[in-house]
Amino acid sequence: MASFNLYSRGDRIFGYANAALIGLFVISTLYPFIYLLAVSISSGAAVTSGQVVLFPKDLTLAAYEFVLSDRLFWIAYGNTFIYTFGGTAISLAIMIPGAYALSRPRLRGRKFLNLMVAFTLWFNAGMIPFFLNMRDLGLLDSRFGLIIGFACNAFNVILLRNFFEGVPKSFEEAAKMDGASEFQLLWKVFIPLSKPAIITVGLFCIVSRWNSYFWAMVLLRGEEKIPLQLYLKRIIVDLTANDEFASSLLTNRYSFETVTAAIMIASIIPVLLIYPSIQKYFNKGITLGGVKE
Amino acid sequence: MSAVELNDVVKRYGALEVVHSVNLNVATGEFIVLVGPSGCGKSTTLRMIAGLEEISDGTISIGGRVVNRMAPKDRDVAMVFQNYALYPHLNVAENIAFGLRVRREKNEVVEAAVNEAATILDLTPYLKRKPADLSGGQRQRVAMGRAIVRKPKVFLFDEPLSNLDAKLRTQMRAEIKRLHKRMGVTSIYVTHDQVEAMTLADRIVVMNAGRVEQVGSPMELFLNPANAFVASFLGSPPMNLLRATVTSLNGEPAARIDGVHTDAIELKLPVSFVASLEADQRILVGVRPEHFSIGPEAGAQGQPIAATVDLVEPLGSEALLHSRIAGQPIVAKLETPADVRKLSEIGELKIPTDRLHVFDAASGKAVSGHA
Repeated sequence: MASFNLYSRGDRIFGYANAALIGLFVISTLYPFIYLLAVSISSGAAVTSGQVVLFPKDLTLAAYEFVLSDRLFWIAYGNTFIYTFGGTAISLAIMIPGAYALSRPRLRGRKFLNLMVAFTLWFNAGMIPFFLNMRDLGLLDSRFGLIIGFACNAFNVILLRNFFEGVPKSFEEAAKMDGASEFQLLWKVFIPLSKPAIITVGLFCIVSRWNSYFWAMVLLRGEEKIPLQLYLKRIIVDLTANDEFASSLLTNRYSFETVTAAIMIASIIPVLLIYPSIQKYFNKGITLGGVKE
Repeated sequence: MSAVELNDVVKRYGALEVVHSVNLNVATGEFIVLVGPSGCGKSTTLRMIAGLEEISDGTISIGGRVVNRMAPKDRDVAMVFQNYALYPHLNVAENIAFGLRVRREKNEVVEAAVNEAATILDLTPYLKRKPADLSGGQRQRVAMGRAIVRKPKVFLFDEPLSNLDAKLRTQMRAEIKRLHKRMGVTSIYVTHDQVEAMTLADRIVVMNAGRVEQVGSPMELFLNPANAFVASFLGSPPMNLLRATVTSLNGEPAARIDGVHTDAIELKLPVSFVASLEADQRILVGVRPEHFSIGPEAGAQGQPIAATVDLVEPLGSEALLHSRIAGQPIVAKLETPADVRKLSEIGELKIPTDRLHVFDAASGKAVSGHA
């Protein structure tokens, strides 16, 4: 029997080119992680002399020992957890009802309100007015200030609003016929149906808060409230000028580079752990089967 | 249980009036079917009864209470949607229980009601399944379960079977009828399928362009359609309407069927129409497809008329004959002979004059044959 190929030559070349491009992208994304990991478990001398490119050299956990024994690291880690998870919970608690209200066709002034929300995407007051605003509200050097000041993000509100608008109207009508109140409608119908969007927005919040650095630096004073990223900055900027640390490098197996790599790895781990468990929600398939389109 | 009353109900979207002064009385326990083509206002009327659309004018009463400004949840009606509207994140039991849960009924009450509904609808083995894991018919049954579990005063059905395949539709139709017999709840059912209307309804409301054309029992409407629209809407295939002019044939009333690219044909009309017709009046002559015949068994009443066959569709015991009379297309439903090919060779069809319907061409209204 004559064999034949389902794909033309052009298709196959396109497939190979795609695979090559994706492979390149994967390598360029993955390499920094592998490099950081390799540096963090190599000896300071090996890293400084440029011997670590892909694989670790002179395996040691000295950098981790240094980092994990620092009291401030744990304070910063705890702060980041509060800012990230507390902040995300508060953000969602504010943005979900806001987006739901904006998605309701019968909301008075809906067009204007939506325009005002979108307006902040393109234009905002800027750093100094925001700082002054926070100062006047007494929210400087406060954990709550750092959380509430960035609780609402227009882009996320619009994303949620659009998803709510896409929920088939018959779900809402069926719930109303069943006797659901507006709150029950949001809580029992819209939120479960919008899980993919809410989780996506939640992940955006988590990642942005986990990585937040600039505003923490501007708004916070005491080191008891700093997040991990500020702690990292302190290590990079402050320790280079610290004679005690410099002299300790002579007696220990860690270096400035291995310590910063260890902190970065430690700070990446929680986000890496969260992502795979919520990846499945990154599709809209959950509404499948509920309504016949 | 309660009657539903619509008095001069109007629906406007801005300046556009889509439902014009609908009046309807639904008796307690009655099964009413609103039927009509797409866009005729039947679903809008149903949604106004449900409270999902505001009423622009007129009143709607349920159980003697005017419900115009009442929220859907306070009307004590339940609705089955065309697309099921099952919550995909809840399983069958939770879907059925939803209405009771939001009303904060006690757990024992909810469980008992869900189990009862599941038994009635044969859903007990599927209570833990999600809607995505059910077939179309099962999903539709869950949607009905959600409606019956609340024991409402009125059931509203918005084209509940239109997403099912033909076989399942027939099955579900029978289930709905059984359910209504068992529960006896006043039901208003919207469909564009005249077979569903004929088989389910105690009374049918035929709607067209936002107006009620005729209300009556299925057979009443089938046998005595009030106008050409009703006549052409009910029946499968629908009634043939031939354009014609009133004339007389040897002193008896007759219709000259307009010839399209061919000569006109004279067709005798029953004498009973004499008083209702005027000479040269433009009319539509209605003939049900199943009233045509070909053989001698048609009897003396059958008037032979020349017909050219375009197409034969054998359906098994019967066949549909797509033909032309005086160039006007008609469909005849005949018994299938042993050799179905013979049907395509037919040169004439017999029309039983005593079963003809006559409609005024201008108004579409039926002309009475019993003056």
